[in-house]
This record gives sequence, structure tokens and C-alpha cells, in this order.
Amino acid sequence: MVEKKIYSKLGEKLANGDFILTGELEPEKTCDLSHTIQEAKEMAPYVVAANVTDSPLGIVTINSMAASHIIQKEAGLEVIWQLTVRDVNKLGIAGMIMGGHALGLRNVLSLTGDHPALGDMPESKPVFDLDSATLVRLVKEMVDKGTINGHEIEHPPTLHVGAAANPNADPMEAEILKIGRKAQAGCEFIQTQVVYDLDRTIEFLSEIKKYNVPVLLGIFPMKSYGIAKGFDTFVPGVDVPKDILAKWKNIKTEFKDDKKEQKRVYDQANYEFFKPFISELKRKGLLAGVHCMAVHYPRIFPKLMEVIQA
Amino acid sequence: MTVITTKKPFEEILSVLKDVKKIGLVSCGSCAAMCQTGGTEGAKEMAEKLEKEGFEVIVTIVPEEVCDNRLMMKDFRQIDEDLKNIDAILTLSCGLGVASIVKALERKYPLIPVFIGTNTEFMGMTERIGRFYMHCRGCGDCLLNETGGICPITTCAKSLMNGPCGGMVNGKCEVGNYEKDCGWVLIYNRLKALGRLDLFSKLRDPVNWSESGHQREVVWR
Amino acid sequence: MVVITTKKPVEEVLNVLKDNNAKKLFLVSCGVCSALCQTGGEQGLEEWKEILEKEGYEIVNGLVVDDVCDNREMAKVVRKNDADIQNADAIVTLSCGLGVQSTIEVLSKKHPQKKVFVTNNTEFMGMTERIGRFYMRCRGCGDCLLNETGGICPITTCAKSLMNGPCGGMVNGKCEVGNYEKDCGWVLIYNRLKEIGRLDLFSKLRDPVDWSESGHQREVIWR
Repeated sequence: MVEKKIYSKLGEKLANGDFILTGELEPEKTCDLSHTIQEAKEMAPYVVAANVTDSPLGIVTINSMAASHIIQKEAGLEVIWQLTVRDVNKLGIAGMIMGGHALGLRNVLSLTGDHPALGDMPESKPVFDLDSATLVRLVKEMVDKGTINGHEIEHPPTLHVGAAANPNADPMEAEILKIGRKAQAGCEFIQTQVVYDLDRTIEFLSEIKKYNVPVLLGIFPMKSYGIAKGFDTFVPGVDVPKDILAKWKNIKTEFKDDKKEQKRVYDQANYEFFKPFISELKRKGLLAGVHCMAVHYPRIFPKLMEVIQA
Repeated sequence: MTVITTKKPFEEILSVLKDVKKIGLVSCGSCAAMCQTGGTEGAKEMAEKLEKEGFEVIVTIVPEEVCDNRLMMKDFRQIDEDLKNIDAILTLSCGLGVASIVKALERKYPLIPVFIGTNTEFMGMTERIGRFYMHCRGCGDCLLNETGGICPITTCAKSLMNGPCGGMVNGKCEVGNYEKDCGWVLIYNRLKALGRLDLFSKLRDPVNWSESGHQREVVWR
Repeated sequence: MVVITTKKPVEEVLNVLKDNNAKKLFLVSCGVCSALCQTGGEQGLEEWKEILEKEGYEIVNGLVVDDVCDNREMAKVVRKNDADIQNADAIVTLSCGLGVQSTIEVLSKKHPQKKVFVTNNTEFMGMTERIGRFYMRCRGCGDCLLNETGGICPITTCAKSLMNGPCGGMVNGKCEVGNYEKDCGWVLIYNRLKEIGRLDLFSKLRDPVDWSESGHQREVIWR
């Protein structure tokens, strides 16, 4: 067996089989990243790396390659650069992979990207020259073979490439077969969409286990009732369980006069929900770690650390 | 008979014709007739509207196919006198019709402006008159034999070759408020029903755009 | 009659039939566009019958249909030939891509499991100069701007589909794509607008194409 090459801390931890935590950062429509950098610094002691999003929902933000570089440099936190195939054709993306490497990025997450029609520049031309599987294949060709379309790269990039998976997808089998394609393309890790349904998650992860790609489970600890409700309403295909919503609503009203205590209770409630959830999946050997997608909620990380280490 | 057209707003046509007085009307008897944007009916309707606005419709022809140069040359020969007398041609056809008319007139009447009264939407399948669906984009490398006869380029909002993407929820597509079917779920369902999920598992290459170019042509003689 | 098709290589079609274990075939040949392109019609049907029979396939039936892309026409064919369709392993259409999907649509109620294959590649909506000379001149953008460009479409004649050409790839009126052999679309537009005294239209700064409605599963429905 060929020894796996390691290019990043994430790559190293995954290769060692350490159970890890990754976070998520969402730069906005701004050229000043100080808030995001601050958030990155707060989560840095707990996470191995953090994703940097690429204009989610098709809403234009600062370019994710630039933001990834700046965050990595300023916050000292390794990033997982999210790259969608929505806006740039093959030629542009191949150039970006080299550029990303030159800027010090060592992990890239291949995504399709939300359609421009959903965002704030809907008249943009949807590109989608590649798709999330063929982007993985392109990165692997560039890294492992040092070529693009068969043409040699003088100094090839070295990045780990991951992809997304959605355990909530219905029909599930279509999604599973698609993960198979991504694995075939050379995908090195998977980060899932946010999950709340344990049975469904077990079923899905058991099915994709055969592809032998380490999986980081997407979770979304909810900072407040408003955020939980919003997530439930606005994220299609993901339902926050009714009892969770009720519990969070209760916390909101019960502690409305003591914000400090309210925060503590919310954090504790998240801990109590996610601990058994993750322990069960970890016990079954279905996970390589957890990917926390709750942005602007860095104070939850010490609690999540307890979950991970439990 | 599959090029689907819709009518341009009449005000838009009027604004284009602002320096024009005497008009020759060309109305396609094929696809546009079926779409009720051309044909005899469409020509009559347009002539009436134009005359009401003070234009003079000098001549009207309803060629069998405006997009066929040969037919247009024949038809124009028969109205040669009228062509000398008009300021512009207005065609009720698809965009190909304009190119075909300009070409047919290029020797004798290169200066006659040619305007169009429709928008060309797509190559469409006809369910019935008034219900037309885009099901082919003419990529030139048909993969329907591998996708259960359902075209991902026209049914997937992102024209993905390896779908479905994360924008699929319960078989529906993120584009258009989850009202339309996800093209790749349609393909999955069909291939499953046909016992060919092996084709679904296949990792497909991106579309090869190297021949997509411009001024594409099919010339074999 | 403007959907231009070309023949897929015979081996490609034979491989598909073999891969799908289809031995008894029902051929549907388009009598309109594909007949004009000599990829369908009577002639195409005879050609394919001969090829397939020589390879040992059984032709259950073979028909020329007026408009395969019209569900109504195909529904008639299906009604009249139900037994043959039942008996065939697959339908093979000698048509454009619309024909395949029209056939599937029409078969969806009674024969949803029937496989449908196609022998052609669909190239574009084409202007016919004469038989054997077809040119792409329209891409169906849905927002025709020919009235402003002297009747020459920049989306199909400019290699980059630019809205404000010509670009730096133009040399002596020719395009960088294809070794400077083809005309630059925007120079054609310039020449034409100059001829008809409308260079004011050429000077205009145009917005990018609005892709928000370009989506998928586009439809025109008015009743």
C-alpha cells in the first residue's frame, strides 16, 4: 500500500485516526475580515481547522480563497477552503488551485455551490463547468500526478481535497451512489450537511462506510431559540426536532431576565443533545470527527470539546 | 417544428420601427405558426396592429420555412417589385429567420433592415398547442442513451454531469422554490426502474466545450 | 424544420443496444427535421434497418413519424402499434433529443419501463442554406436582440458570445478561435450597422445577458 502523503494538520489527524473537531467561518460582503479573524482566534484552541465559505446561498461575499489566506495568516488557524464550481470554469479553477496552494492553503472542500438564481445577483451566468466530483478528480490529478489535463505543472500543488454529503437527502440511495462517485474521484474526507435525526444518520453513514472515506459529521449547535427557529424554517431539507425547538423556546422565556444564565443554559442544552448523539455514532465507528457549522457561536467550542473527548 | 417562440411586446416592436414607414411582413408557416407567433393568423394580427399605428404594410408573405434560404430566395423573387418599395422587413419567425432573410437578400437588397417580432425560447417538445417544454439544448454529444432518456443538461438547473447536488430536497430543486423535480432524481428513478443503476454510479466527465464555439455548422456537401 | 442532427457512430449505437440487451427493436424515424438532415426519414429508416438486421437484431416495426417531438403525433403512433411496442425490447428513435423524451413521455403511462434510445446527436437550431449546409444562427436566449444588432446575433456569431465586442482576439476582422478563418461576429455587426446607417446602435453599451430565467426545464405555456 502506498503511504498517504500528509500536507496539513487536518490530513495528519485524519491519517492518525484522531477524533477531531472542525469549525466554520462565514466571511461576509466586506473587505475587512477583522470580525471573522476574531472568531477564528476564539475557536483556534479547539478545532483542527475551520471551513471558510464561498458565497453561500449564492449571495456574494469576499472571495473565499482570499479570505482563507488572510484568516490562516492573521488568526493562525488552519483553514479548509471551500470552493464551489458555480462561478468559475475548469480553467479558472485549475488556476485557483495553484494560487490557493501558493497562498498557503492545504485543504480544499469541493462543493457545487448554491445556484446564482437563489442569491443577490440572480442574473449571473451559472457556470458549473465541473461538478463537485470532477473538481475532486481535478485536484487529485494536480496533486498526485502533477498535471492538469495531462500537462505538467512545474511545481504542483499539495492539498487535501474533501467533499460534502447529505444524510438528509431523499432519495438517499441517489446520494449514496453519488458519494461513491466522489470516492472514486479520490475524495479524502467528507463533511456532512447538518443532521438531527440519529436513525437516519446511522443508516446513511453505515451505507457510505464501504467507500472508506473519513467522515466529519455536520452539527449545528443552536445559540438561541431565534437561531434554532430560523434554521428550521430557512434551511430546506433540515428539520430541527420539535422537542428541541420547544426546549429552546422554554429557555428563551424562562431566563429572559438573566442573559448570562440563559447563555449557560443554552450551551448546556446543546451539550446534552449532542453528547449522546455523537457518542453513539463514535461508538459505532462511523465517524472521524465532528464539523460544527454554527457560525458566530465560538463560545460553544469548549463544551463541544468535552463532547468530542467523551 | 420545434423552435418555440413567444411574441415580443408590441411596444418594443414599435420602438424598433420608429424610422420605418413601409413594411414587408414575413410570417413563418412552420414552427412559429404552431406557436401562434407567426403563420397566416399571426401575420394578419400584426398587419392590423401596424396599420392602426399608421404603418403601411406593403406586402405579406407566409413562407413554409423562413429558416430555409432556398425557400426564402424563391419567395423573395416573387415579390421583387415590393421589395424595392419597402423601408424594412419585419419577420414573425425565430431568430434563424432573420439570418436567413438577411442572407437571401444580401446580393440584391443588402440595405433593407430586417427586424423581428418574436423572442426565440428553445427547441421544444410539444405536449399540445400552448404547452411546449425545453428538453434538448443541442450539445452535439447526446448522452440520453446513458441517462434513461432524460437529459441532465436541460432538466438539471446546473446542467451537472454528476448530480444530484446538495440543492435537492425530497426530489425537488432549490431553483424555483422546490417546485420542479430534480433532474438527477428523475434520472435515478428511471434508471432504477429500468434496472440500470450501474449507469447512475458512473463518474462522468465534464461536458467537452472545445467544439461549442461560434458559427457552428454542419456541412457535409 | 431546423433542429440539426448528425448521426452517432454506428458502433456507439450498437454498443448501447448490446449493453442494454435490446434485441427486438421498434424504430421511429422523424419525418421532419431529421429527414432534412438525412439522419431520419425514409432513407434513414432503411439504412438503420439494414445495419441492425445485418447485426442480427429483429426489427419489430419501423415507422416514419411526422413530428416525433410532438406528443400528440407520438400518442397516435403508440395507440396504433401497441402490440409491437409491447413486443419490442426497446424503441430506437432516429430523431433529435426531443424525440426521445417525447417518446418516453407518451409511453410513461402504459409502458413506463420501455427503454428508448437515439441514433443521433442534436447539434443546434440551424439555418438551412441547402441540404447538407446548416448553420447555427440562434441559441434561443429568449430575449432576442437582433433588432439592435442589424439582424446578426452576437450570441452565436461571436465565439465568446460577448455583448460589447469586438474583443482583442479580432485581427483583420477575423476571430482568434479557429485560426483566424472565421469572421469576427462583432465586425459583421459593425459592417451591417454601418451599411444601414445605424452605428448609433453599435456605440451603445449593452448589459450582460440576464441569466436569471435561463434555468432548467424551461417551458412556454399559454393554455
